[in-house]
Amino acid sequence: MSSVLERIFQRYTEELNKASDDPNIQLALSRAVKSYRDNTAAAFKRFPHTPKLAGEVRAIKEKAIESMDELVAQARQAIEANHGQTYLAGTHEEALKLAADIIGTGKIVVKGKSIVGEELEIRDYLIEKGNEVWETDLGEFLLQLQHGRPMHIVSPSVHVPREQVAELFTKFFGREIPPDIAAEVEAVREFMREKYFSAHFGMSGANVVAADCGAMVIIENEGNARICTAVPPVHIAVVGIEKVVPTFQDAMKVAEVTWRYANYTVPGYVNIISGPSKTGDIEKVTTYGAHGPRELHVIFVDNGRSEMAADPLFRQGLYCLRCGGCMYECPVFQLTAGYFGYRYLGGIGAIWTAFVAGGLENAAPLVYTCLRCGRCVERCPVSIDVPSMIAELRRRIVELTC
Amino acid sequence: MSLELKLEANDYRLPPTLEVIRGNIVKYGNPLGLKGNEIAGWARNLNLPRQGDVLLYTGGEYQLVPYIDSLVNMLTTMKQGSAGFSLMLGVRNLINRVGVNPEKVVAGVLSRERERYQDVSRKAALVLQEMGLKICYLGEEEVYSGALLYEYGFMGDLRQHARRVAGLIKSTGARTIICLSPHAAEMFKLIYPRLVDDFNYRVITFLEAVYDLIKDDRGRVPSGFSGSITVHDSCRMARELGITEEIRVILSKMEGVTLIEPEFNRRWTTCCGGPGKVLFPALSGKIASRRVGELAATSADLVITFCPYCLAALDKGRREGQKDIQIEDFIEFLFRGIAQ
Repeated sequence: MSSVLERIFQRYTEELNKASDDPNIQLALSRAVKSYRDNTAAAFKRFPHTPKLAGEVRAIKEKAIESMDELVAQARQAIEANHGQTYLAGTHEEALKLAADIIGTGKIVVKGKSIVGEELEIRDYLIEKGNEVWETDLGEFLLQLQHGRPMHIVSPSVHVPREQVAELFTKFFGREIPPDIAAEVEAVREFMREKYFSAHFGMSGANVVAADCGAMVIIENEGNARICTAVPPVHIAVVGIEKVVPTFQDAMKVAEVTWRYANYTVPGYVNIISGPSKTGDIEKVTTYGAHGPRELHVIFVDNGRSEMAADPLFRQGLYCLRCGGCMYECPVFQLTAGYFGYRYLGGIGAIWTAFVAGGLENAAPLVYTCLRCGRCVERCPVSIDVPSMIAELRRRIVELTC
Repeated sequence: MSLELKLEANDYRLPPTLEVIRGNIVKYGNPLGLKGNEIAGWARNLNLPRQGDVLLYTGGEYQLVPYIDSLVNMLTTMKQGSAGFSLMLGVRNLINRVGVNPEKVVAGVLSRERERYQDVSRKAALVLQEMGLKICYLGEEEVYSGALLYEYGFMGDLRQHARRVAGLIKSTGARTIICLSPHAAEMFKLIYPRLVDDFNYRVITFLEAVYDLIKDDRGRVPSGFSGSITVHDSCRMARELGITEEIRVILSKMEGVTLIEPEFNRRWTTCCGGPGKVLFPALSGKIASRRVGELAATSADLVITFCPYCLAALDKGRREGQKDIQIEDFIEFLFRGIAQ
């Protein structure tokens, strides 16, 4: 009889092989890889200070992870001083329960793209609790309709061509949507408008958080995160504790490096949120809930991150900015997209899966898929040494099986 | 917390091919349990001394490559659904159903492939001798460096194996080790010093040895080749060992050779897919084909590489993709001009 790991491994290998034979995935990925490389090369030319800034960001992250607990405490204090409410979730379950306690049941939730959200599978959880939850990022929305899983952290629907999108939308909206990208985008825009204004809660992640003032930075192009975090009366942010850096200035550096390596050259929007909406225009009396949300809840999530921080080799995994650059350079990812992944993708995803999102049994197949070729390290803005961590995880897996 | 297993220990087994490879290295000194004369046969008529200042270390890697391919072929052609499926059967199952025993693996190797790969080591020795270097060789006693034990996470086994290898190396009296495979060089340079006391040698690759011999030479290096060449940098060489410029200098000293760089070169080189061969043979083959495509896009006549796994993976990719480009190891290439 085959063991649990054998079954996981078997299913995984079949998916990998299937993905690498799928002409849609191959076409979409080869275009995406080329465009990523061309765009970033052009962006580095236009903003030549970027690699040096990336070096600074590495130093910022090293320092921040060393004092992660203190920085989280400081960020919480700052956000609360700004009249936000904060929570620290030790585990996956705690994080979900905190969110569900705030939201309750029978509510409408609009949600921006969030990798922590994927880690927690928070959308499904809230739906199970009797809520209506909408992914507002176009790529995530597509996956929600497809019941698919993200294939890239920045471009989750990197593998779905416009013809498939049209088919999906025609069925969902109950009217003919042509395979024309502008028409597809328009259909979603129209649908989402109504959801934004009837939603009770807006949810988001954050790319980086400044401990000194509590500012959370959310980088985006579509404007959906802007609306999600501004229109509904309550904003809930779910943030990994590794995202906190000491100062606002540090956060700006992290943000710029993140978007540049994430193929955003210059992002459409950079949102900075430090507290709920407020006004002092009448008699200088501060009143919360002006045009934006009257409540802000920030859930900081540990869920294995402290364990990573305590390990001298794996600590560097927490430096990851989630720009996704490494994936475009990975020879396995170039053929299989997010099938080389669990909730986190690619080589660095194997490390994150092991520690925070799935455990070693789900990480093991990924850990053994990595070629340890090291090209991801060349691309990584903070030079995370994935091959060494993979070697060490293999050693630990072997140790556990003997 | 997550790093503890949620499964029962006996529910948690590694792919049996890994166990087969591990067992062979531990028991027979190389990943497929080949006999000493299979590995050292190439040196029969060269009368290389067993002791000396400079040790030529093949680790049996070029010699082993066609056998690894034969094993992988056997696994991929099995009709058990997918290759991944068969890889996860129990060890006993694997041997019973597939008959993975050395005889069958040996039988699956084409003799011209075997000869080609055996000959790489002979050519390396002859080139070095021709260039005036005195080398020694461990002959049938030579054992594999254990790079795959490291690669797959069998560190306890590696520690023991490394001591055995280190003892053999010590017995040659050499101070310099010339490694034919960059994987062996990586082991001796970066890993062994962490595992074995007093493992202090000058460890260089064949490529560096040649570079050292000719770098101050103002004359041209004979090439025995006329045409355009592109270079496939191996991941280990370029990124782990930082060796990228030596080959370019050597080629620039050669008459009749034009170098055309592939788009992804030096530290940005693309992996040949070789490391995935044992567990994900289908995927590994596709990665190789892609890389061959990148190299063929240079329109060069010849690809040069310097790693046994790269050579095998790319050459297979070339055959399967029917690409009109030749693929040679640097050793084979150099032999033609210098020693032939």
